[in-house]
Amino acid sequence: MAAGVAAWLPFARAAAIGWMPVASTPMPIPPQEKRKAQDGLIILNVSGTKFQTWRNTLERYPDTLLGSTERDFFFHEETNEYFFDRDPDIFRHILNFYRTGKLHYPRQECISAYDEELAFFGIIPEIIGDCCYEEYKDRRRENAERLQDDEDTDMNNDVTPVNLTFREYLWRAFENPHSSTLALVFYYVTGFFIAISVMANVVETVPCGFLPNRSKEVSCGERYALAFFCLDTACVMIFTVEYLLRLIAAPSRYKFMKSVMSVIDVVAIMPYYIGLVMTDNDQLSGAFVTLRVFRVFRIFKFSRHSAGLRILGYTLKSCASELGFLLFSLTMAIIIFATVMFYAEKGSPASKFTSIPAAFWYTIVTMTTLGYGDMVPKTIVGKVFGSICSLSGVLVIALPVPVIVSNFSRIYHQSQRAEKRRAQRKTRLARIRAAKIRGTNAYMRYKQNGLLIDTLEEASKEAGQALVAKPPSPPFESQHHHLLHCLEKTTNHEFVDEQTFQANCMEISAMHKSGSRSSSLSSSPHGLSSCCSRRHRKKSSFSLPSTNNQELSTIQIRERPVVNSRSSLNAKLDETVPLKCNEPFITPSMVSLSAPVVTSSDGDGSTTATTTAYSQSNIVRVSAL
Amino acid sequence: MEAKRVETVSGRVDAAVSSPDSVEDELELSTVRHRPEGLQQLEAQTRFSRKELQILYRGFKNECPSGVVNEETFKDIYSQFFPQGDASTYAHFLFNAFDTDHNGSDFVMGLSILLRGTVQEKLNWAFNLYDINKDGYITKEEMLDIMKAIYDMMGKCTYPVLREETPRQHVEVFFQKMDKNKDGVVTIDEFIDCCQNDENIMRSMQLFESVL
Repeated sequence: MAAGVAAWLPFARAAAIGWMPVASTPMPIPPQEKRKAQDGLIILNVSGTKFQTWRNTLERYPDTLLGSTERDFFFHEETNEYFFDRDPDIFRHILNFYRTGKLHYPRQECISAYDEELAFFGIIPEIIGDCCYEEYKDRRRENAERLQDDEDTDMNNDVTPVNLTFREYLWRAFENPHSSTLALVFYYVTGFFIAISVMANVVETVPCGFLPNRSKEVSCGERYALAFFCLDTACVMIFTVEYLLRLIAAPSRYKFMKSVMSVIDVVAIMPYYIGLVMTDNDQLSGAFVTLRVFRVFRIFKFSRHSAGLRILGYTLKSCASELGFLLFSLTMAIIIFATVMFYAEKGSPASKFTSIPAAFWYTIVTMTTLGYGDMVPKTIVGKVFGSICSLSGVLVIALPVPVIVSNFSRIYHQSQRAEKRRAQRKTRLARIRAAKIRGTNAYMRYKQNGLLIDTLEEASKEAGQALVAKPPSPPFESQHHHLLHCLEKTTNHEFVDEQTFQANCMEISAMHKSGSRSSSLSSSPHGLSSCCSRRHRKKSSFSLPSTNNQELSTIQIRERPVVNSRSSLNAKLDETVPLKCNEPFITPSMVSLSAPVVTSSDGDGSTTATTTAYSQSNIVRVSAL
Repeated sequence: MEAKRVETVSGRVDAAVSSPDSVEDELELSTVRHRPEGLQQLEAQTRFSRKELQILYRGFKNECPSGVVNEETFKDIYSQFFPQGDASTYAHFLFNAFDTDHNGSDFVMGLSILLRGTVQEKLNWAFNLYDINKDGYITKEEMLDIMKAIYDMMGKCTYPVLREETPRQHVEVFFQKMDKNKDGVVTIDEFIDCCQNDENIMRSMQLFESVL
């Protein structure tokens, strides 16, 4: 929490005044502020450059060198200033951090020097402001790579807890194999079967030795026909299942069926089915054999598994115009030279150049500098034009190729940069989220340490006791926590952290599902289920049945630290029972209160045990009312 | 001297506000930064001491160098204080409660009332906050809006779990307590009467007196 926001504390207090007529319980006492020392100026002498600032400015961050008593080590009595033998240019930024709450990274400074200064003054680099953070991280990464230091940069897998329908979940599993283990397994299995199928196709045609009753060599496919057939069947089963699942899961089925990959999928498995249908028909078996050539398209299925292949395909698609030009110019040249060669060789006896289309073959082979030698010109004119043909071939082909290559390189780098931006966005969001959670956790810890002072008696007791055991919290933080506590009192609800909340909600819905309702819940079953269904619609990272065991264990773990606050809440509720106007609040909170208390006492109880225990405790609670 | 400077500044602001069409006026408006009234004047008008005013203004100007606080800034501040929930609606109501004459500046006056005023003044201000359309009556709908805004600030992760009808129930409780003649609205007199009779509220109102 940026302590610069401490300046707005009076405004937040104004907000609190707005809650007071609405709250039904009294507000807690604000923390006593120790009498502040006279706010004076501090002189900081950094290698001769003098900086001055208010003492309060430095004390905003008490866990840094300048904000804590650690600076006393650098106090210089003769000149009544704090002397630091460090770089004054970088110190400027560090002092600005105290002033504005934002740490900036100067681009012209060396990254290791900057890091050293930060470490010296006890400032963690993670609080660098968003404006400079990317640059800082980039430089840091470059530096590490340069020093060949293997930084631990594990990007967490994408665990966005979004509630998906089964169909969306399936589609996501297909598109992004890293989203779950099942998807990864499926990905590797399909890859394996593609490889197997392609290899089987290849091996099928290898000659495999002699059969006793045949005179010529037999291919492996014919010799082990059954084995290959079984293998083929298995592969086609897998591919069919995969295709059907993708079809079901696709968000837009029509678009999916039009896409290239799905066409490849269909073409890969069609020969098999056509073959099944046509085995009995002898005339068409010749056509069937040629259909088998389409099985080689299965190799294109690998493009789902390989990003590079996809990039290549995308490059060819985007270079369509260049490829078109290449093709067109080649065609022009082929026709021209074929015509010329035909007429040049017309006179020669036994010439292979029987027609212009026959000369096409010669022209292509010559222009691509292949030169098979099956067709060669024999006349002098033919040879002259043949050499012109080969020379121009080199030129015509060499021209568009660099364009295609540069296109490929551009697209490849683009995809790299997109990956990098995506990774940075994830980190950025994670940092924001972590800051939020840090704030919440700070408040939770504050509560658990029993630092909440509710009544005047407790306040006087606290003031009397020596507060040795409790860790000192910075004064602004305690004011902030006091305000959050006021809000809790106003609304009669407590802040909890996410895991506890989800555990509670899941538990409530589990209880709700188990059906052991008592009458006290009849007033608000709909409310509870609506809360949980609302939450499920918004975000849920689990499906109820599968993670029951996991959640149960988290309930136990969470219970111990929270029990204190819950029991205090319990005490408060008992006090406020006599007040008539609080009754509507008590019923639901009591109902949900009893459930977790039971689980903590159970130890590692199963759901059914907690259910029965719950109903018993529920009855007890009702009678207490 | 300070008063004259303030007058010229406000004169320019008025001119700019009254004829927003011309480009020059727009330019002037953009370069005018808010200048507060003099320290002595503020000391006389508010109940803060000179030192407190200095600290307040310094902290405020540090955070908001242009000196202008608009609704966006308000929402930003409250979202930093109450990150678990959504404080923007409540910030909107608060902004309207502070900014009664819509000149965008007199927060110091409001803060002086809230932090140093009598209980009567504070209750007055709270009534002003709840009365969204400033017609002198708090209706159930207005109260419900305010209540929802407060509960929004709690966010989702609460214990016990927030339900849809919690704000409405709270409003019912509030009206039961405050609305003496059961006419469906709460007037300022009913409000102040009832609060003064409620010990808890009186005690809470005096909470922030000793601190800045």
